Amino acid sequence: MKRLAISLSVCLALVASAATGHAKRGGGKAAAPAAEENAGGEGGAAAEGGAGKEGAPASESLDTTESEPGMVEDEITGPKAQRPTTTLSWQDIVVVPRKAFLKGGRAEFAPLAGITVNDNLIRHYVFGLDFNYFLTDALWVGLQGQYYVKQLTTQAELVGLQFNRTSTMNRYLYGGTFNMGYVPVYGKFAWVNRSIIHWEIWAAVGVGATFTEVIARDPAEQNKAFKNTALTVAPGIGTRIFLTDWLTFNFAIRDYILADKFEPIMDYPDAATSKANAESALVNNFMIYAGIGMYLPTKFTYKTPR
Amino acid sequence: MLNKHRFALLIALATVSLPLAAQAQRKSPLADAPAIRKRFELRSTRFEAGVGAGSTLNQDYFHTITINVRLAFHITDWLAIAGFGDFGVAQVSTGFQSRLTGSLDPAGGGNVLREPTPDQAKASLQQISSILGGQLEFVPFTGKFSMFGKLFASYDFYAFGGPAVVNVKTAGDPGRKCDQAAPASDQGNPNPSRYYCEVSGPKFGPTFGAGFHTYFGQGVGLNVELRDTMAQLNPAGRDTNGDGLANNDDLQWTHTWMVGGNLVIFLPFTAKVSP
Repeated sequence: MKRLAISLSVCLALVASAATGHAKRGGGKAAAPAAEENAGGEGGAAAEGGAGKEGAPASESLDTTESEPGMVEDEITGPKAQRPTTTLSWQDIVVVPRKAFLKGGRAEFAPLAGITVNDNLIRHYVFGLDFNYFLTDALWVGLQGQYYVKQLTTQAELVGLQFNRTSTMNRYLYGGTFNMGYVPVYGKFAWVNRSIIHWEIWAAVGVGATFTEVIARDPAEQNKAFKNTALTVAPGIGTRIFLTDWLTFNFAIRDYILADKFEPIMDYPDAATSKANAESALVNNFMIYAGIGMYLPTKFTYKTPR
Repeated sequence: MLNKHRFALLIALATVSLPLAAQAQRKSPLADAPAIRKRFELRSTRFEAGVGAGSTLNQDYFHTITINVRLAFHITDWLAIAGFGDFGVAQVSTGFQSRLTGSLDPAGGGNVLREPTPDQAKASLQQISSILGGQLEFVPFTGKFSMFGKLFASYDFYAFGGPAVVNVKTAGDPGRKCDQAAPASDQGNPNPSRYYCEVSGPKFGPTFGAGFHTYFGQGVGLNVELRDTMAQLNPAGRDTNGDGLANNDDLQWTHTWMVGGNLVIFLPFTAKVSP
């Protein structure tokens, strides 16, 4: 009988303990609306924190104490009264989440692939690499190298059939620019309201050279074709979409403005004479390209408190 | 006595294990929650109407400047049905066209019968009168951006697709429609009309592309679209298949790229707020 009494006592104690645990978890549920109330607008920040990277720890530990709702309220309205404090992660749900990605002091290696878009007669596929160093989070300097592969368009073939004319064209071989860039626009979007993704828009200008080669109007006289080194100025805008702490998806449109030389109308005996009498023209070579950016170091630390 | 003892222990274990099991099944209240709460549903069940302007891109002979009209109903925050009309108001010669026609001999091509004079070349060049169509729009991206850390605005990106009709005309009067028989032409009796014809009227095809809205408050926004409309066209109005004459067999599926911007208003003027 005594043993039974002990057993029942242990049983009651355990049940009471479990019941207390349930009562504590109730606070977490009550607190959720408090956080929601402060998430106004399309980018409601409290909820973003909850669902995003910074909110992950909070969601794991919401059911740890009954004093948490008060702490959330305090953050919003200021402390009303002295309450018991704990080291609880309701603090991880913040009104304004921090930027998801910091670039200052980091280097970016960005392979790219693109296509020229504004020439009716010849298009170029471009493959290249950007190397950028970020002086601050919004300002960078860098180098870009490009290698081009040409393709004649249908229009280049039709112009002979339809008008009995051949086109004066140059192909691009390769090029390089020194770039400076700035980030004026930073944003975030919700992917079907399930996850928050951060992005930015940049503007840059570069100075460099593009190496081009004449495509002879008469294919039999390609030996008279010559090569140029064309001074190039390259303004552009682009975007980075931040995927991880060290990886971005990049997209850009850029105008490579170059002073190129074309095959003269008159027929000259060799490439040197032909080049000396070449016609110069300013060319706008618009190019769109996409790529990925890989950052070193691969990690970053926030320097300011949340 | 032993049985009673075991029975008590069983009760104790069952009582303890039930809440533990319940705890294991509990999920965070933020799990599966929407990424954004209390967001302005700037599109859901709202009408959108807008006017603006646009231009064709990458045309061979003429850039068409258009006045645009747009109407849409957003069935949900991420799905809309829309109609648009882009009406050509100006035709701007491209640099390629100017250089090409400038290189042609006004006296003709001599013994190369297909070579036109500048006037003959211009006569059959195609221009776009209007593009009309309907489209379904899918809005997977919505968000906010800041400019210089000072200006803040909501925006969305969308992709669209649907049917469209491109109405085309020629820059001049070629004197023969492409569905009419081409006259004979040879060195003894040259007839330039064999080599060019009039492509005009409605041409049907798909339209697709992407666009975005950026909002000034809840009721007014800027809408920008990049659109590709495909149709069977012949921009030069001349032989494309190499059979030595111009007719409807020379029509080819052609991409017409356009970019346009509209100032749009949304009705009702205020947006709902999500839970």
